[in-house]
Amino acid sequence: MSDILADAPHSVDDFIKAYEGDGKLRGFRCAGCGLITATWGIACSRCGRSPLDETELSQKGTVVAFTLLAVPGEEFLNDAPYPYIVVDLDGGGRITGWIPSIHSEKEIAIGDRVHFVSGYKPGVQFAKDSPPAGSG
Amino acid sequence: MRETWVVGAASNRFGKMKETSREAATRVSMQAIRQAGLEPKDIGYTFVANCFGMSEHQGHVGPLINNGLGIPDVPSCTIESACSSSSAALHEAFVHVAGGFADAALVVGVEKLSHLDTLTATSYFAVATDFPFEAKNGATFPGLYATIATAYRHAFPTTQEMFGAVAIKNHANAVRNPHAHFQKELSMETYLASPMVASPLRLYDCCPFSDGAAAVVVAAKEFVKSPVTEPLVVRASARAGSVTDIQDRKDMLGLPATRIAAEKAFRQAHLERKDINFLEVHDCFTIAEVLAIEDLGFFPKGTAGRAALEGTTARDGQLPVNSSGGLKAKGHPVAATGASQVVEVFEQVNGLAQGREVPHTDVALTHNVGATGGSCSVHIFSRR
Repeated sequence: MSDILADAPHSVDDFIKAYEGDGKLRGFRCAGCGLITATWGIACSRCGRSPLDETELSQKGTVVAFTLLAVPGEEFLNDAPYPYIVVDLDGGGRITGWIPSIHSEKEIAIGDRVHFVSGYKPGVQFAKDSPPAGSG
Repeated sequence: MRETWVVGAASNRFGKMKETSREAATRVSMQAIRQAGLEPKDIGYTFVANCFGMSEHQGHVGPLINNGLGIPDVPSCTIESACSSSSAALHEAFVHVAGGFADAALVVGVEKLSHLDTLTATSYFAVATDFPFEAKNGATFPGLYATIATAYRHAFPTTQEMFGAVAIKNHANAVRNPHAHFQKELSMETYLASPMVASPLRLYDCCPFSDGAAAVVVAAKEFVKSPVTEPLVVRASARAGSVTDIQDRKDMLGLPATRIAAEKAFRQAHLERKDINFLEVHDCFTIAEVLAIEDLGFFPKGTAGRAALEGTTARDGQLPVNSSGGLKAKGHPVAATGASQVVEVFEQVNGLAQGREVPHTDVALTHNVGATGGSCSVHIFSRR
C-alpha cells in the first residue's frame, strides 16, 4: 500500500510558506491528463490520477478575469480597493491573487501581463509588468 | 423506490431573528408538521441544516430541536453543504423515505448571523471558500462571483442593466412575499447609483446576510393516506459537485455542478425543460441567476442576460424565475435557503402565494448552490 504522505509531496502550509518565504509558486503536474494546478491535492482534480508530480510554476502570466474589490475581507481592510485577478501562467497553470499596487479599475484589464511579487502579505500577490519601452 | 411527497413546508420571515436558531428551527418545524396534518411522533428522522451554529455557542442542535418537538428518541443529524445545506438535507430525507428507511422525515434549515458585526459575519462566510487558496489570496464571495461576471461580460455582450433587471424583478416579487427580508421595490436608478462592492457587482447585485428558518416535511405516499394539503411529488432529487476553485476550472462561464445535477434530475424525472412551469434558483448575486438558468439548460450559454430585461423570467413571463424574491430579495439565511425554495413551490401549488402567483404550477424546479459551485442540488416537483 502506498504511503499517503509520499503521495502528497508538499502540504498546504508549504504552498503558503513558499509564497512568503522563497518567493516561489508551487504546484502539481498530472502525468495523466497534463493538468497543472496551483491548488493542493493528492490526486488530479480533472482525471483522478495519483500521485501528482511536484512542479514550480512560472511567475509570469496574463490576466484572464478580475474584479476591483471595494469591500474586502478582514485581512485586507486597509488594502481596498484592489484587483482580485485570475492569471493564466506562462507554461501552464492558472492561479488567483491580488495586486496591492493598483486601486482603480482603469488600471487593470483582461489581457494585462503580470508577475508574481512576494513579501507584502501572506498569499499570492502580483504586479503589472511595465509597458515595453516606446509603447507610449 | 417509494413515491415521496412534500406534505408540509413552513418558513419564518427572513431578516433579523430575535430568537435563537434552535428556537426558530423548532417553531417552523412544528408549523410544517402540523400543516402536513401530522404529529411530531410521525417523524422518523430529522435532518438539520446549519452552517454557523457555533457562533451561537450551540452545536448538536438536532436533538435539541427533537426535544423541543417532544420526540427525543428520533434520530437526527446536522448537514453542512454551505449555501446548499438544506437542499442537501432534503436529498438525504428523500433517500431515507424513498428507500424505506423512514416513513416521514423532517428537514429544517436555520441560520442566524445578525448577532455578529458585519466584519465577523463576512469572516464566517469566507470559511466556505477554499480558504488558503482563495480568501487568503484576497477573495470574498462577492469577489469570486464578480470575477466570473467579468469573464462572462468579456465573452458575451452583457450590460449592467441586464444584471439590474434581475435585481429589480426579484425585489418586485419579494414585495408580495411575507417571508421576505426586503419587501421594497427597486428602481433601475437606485440600482445603478448603488455603490460598487466588487466590480461589476453593485450593492443591489448582492443578496443580504439574513437570519431565517424554513422546514419541509417529506413522507411516503403510502404513509400519508389522505393528505390535507396538495402534496408536491418529488420527481427528482439530484446533487452534484464540481472543482471547487475557479483557478482549476476549464470554464469560468458557468457552474459545472449545476449542469451535472440538472442532467441527473431531468433523467430521474423523465421530464424535459419545456415541462417546467417555474423555477426557484440560487441568485446569491444577479450574475448567479443568469448562470443558473443557462446551466440548467433553459437558455443557451451567453443569452440569459436578456431574460429578466425582456420580462421572460418575470412572474407573469414565459418562465417565472424566483417568484419568492430569490436569495436576492427574500434573503439568504445560508442553510435555510434550499428549504425555503421548496416553501415557495409548496405555497404556489397550495394557493398560499397570494399576490405573487405564477400562471402555471404543475411542475417546478429548485436549484441551490454551495459556495461557487462546489456543491449543487436540483429538485423537481410536480402535482399528483
